[in-house]
Amino acid sequence: MSVGKRDITCPGYAPGTPIKDEDIKLKKVTSVEDHPDIRYSWSAGQAISKFLNGLKEGKIYGVKCNKCKRIMVPPRMFCELCYKPIDEWVELKDTGVVQTFSISYIDPDAKPLPEPIIVAVIAIDGASHNMGIMHLLGEVKPEDVYVGMKVKAVWKDEKEREGAITDIKYWKPI
Amino acid sequence: MIEKIISPKELKHWDGIIDVYWIYTSGEAGDKFFKALKEDGKFIAAKCKKCGWVYFPPRMYCEKDFSETEYIEVSGKGKVKAFTIARLDLKEKELQDPQIYAIIDIDGTNGCIVHLLGEVDPKDLRHGLEVEPVLKKKEEREGKITDILYFRPIS
Repeated sequence: MSVGKRDITCPGYAPGTPIKDEDIKLKKVTSVEDHPDIRYSWSAGQAISKFLNGLKEGKIYGVKCNKCKRIMVPPRMFCELCYKPIDEWVELKDTGVVQTFSISYIDPDAKPLPEPIIVAVIAIDGASHNMGIMHLLGEVKPEDVYVGMKVKAVWKDEKEREGAITDIKYWKPI
Repeated sequence: MIEKIISPKELKHWDGIIDVYWIYTSGEAGDKFFKALKEDGKFIAAKCKKCGWVYFPPRMYCEKDFSETEYIEVSGKGKVKAFTIARLDLKEKELQDPQIYAIIDIDGTNGCIVHLLGEVDPKDLRHGLEVEPVLKKKEEREGKITDILYFRPIS
């Protein structure tokens, strides 16, 4: 082990100090613990609210800017390129193309999943270039997924929909 | 202009809780420091065997030359390096008695500590004020930084 030309006297490998749960419970080692109560309430705003209400009806809404002619999804109230309010709402198809994907073998707690999930960015048909929403792919093996694959939304039953992105269960290959 | 949602019922929002929980152990040098504070009311620093830099709170290894350190005892007394007076609590409610937070350079070390000042009139505060620690009673100490109640001017 060396850092520059310095003369190092500490060992290259430090064994560390293993501790057990018991050592903490019996206060053999000093520690501090905390259980912060972190809560949030996130407002979806005008555009995403309409988008989510649309999902409940089985529709995917985008917005259009008449200046740059872009059709944007997820929708927004302002065109970030023209810096002006958007002009109209448009209904898009529930089909699209896989732009990129990732196969995940672990859940958010880094625990192994029984079956891997495939997360993808899907370019929605009818929207402009470089527009996509992130979602799950289903009814497809991880090894069969490719960029450019055509997919279609698989919706929850109408009664079960609640105006959330999970109203689409996943996207399956056409 | 396009039509906007007016009914609040159609505007969506999400409520969520971020469930986090942690136990942070002091580490070997920190453990030494807190146990000495709890058991004996003493202050431990760590001196680099090679360059002589004195770490407070103590460290196992020197950050400058990666050499081992040795533990030394210091008085815990020090000098106010910087201070601020808090008049509101964490929830921005007015405090009945303002709290004085200070960075205190600990004598005989190259380190410092952030803690409260007490038994002092805010008007008498100044840079370089000599202070000493006031500890909880031994039976109330738990090996935490709050075992030090505050620092007060040396009279």
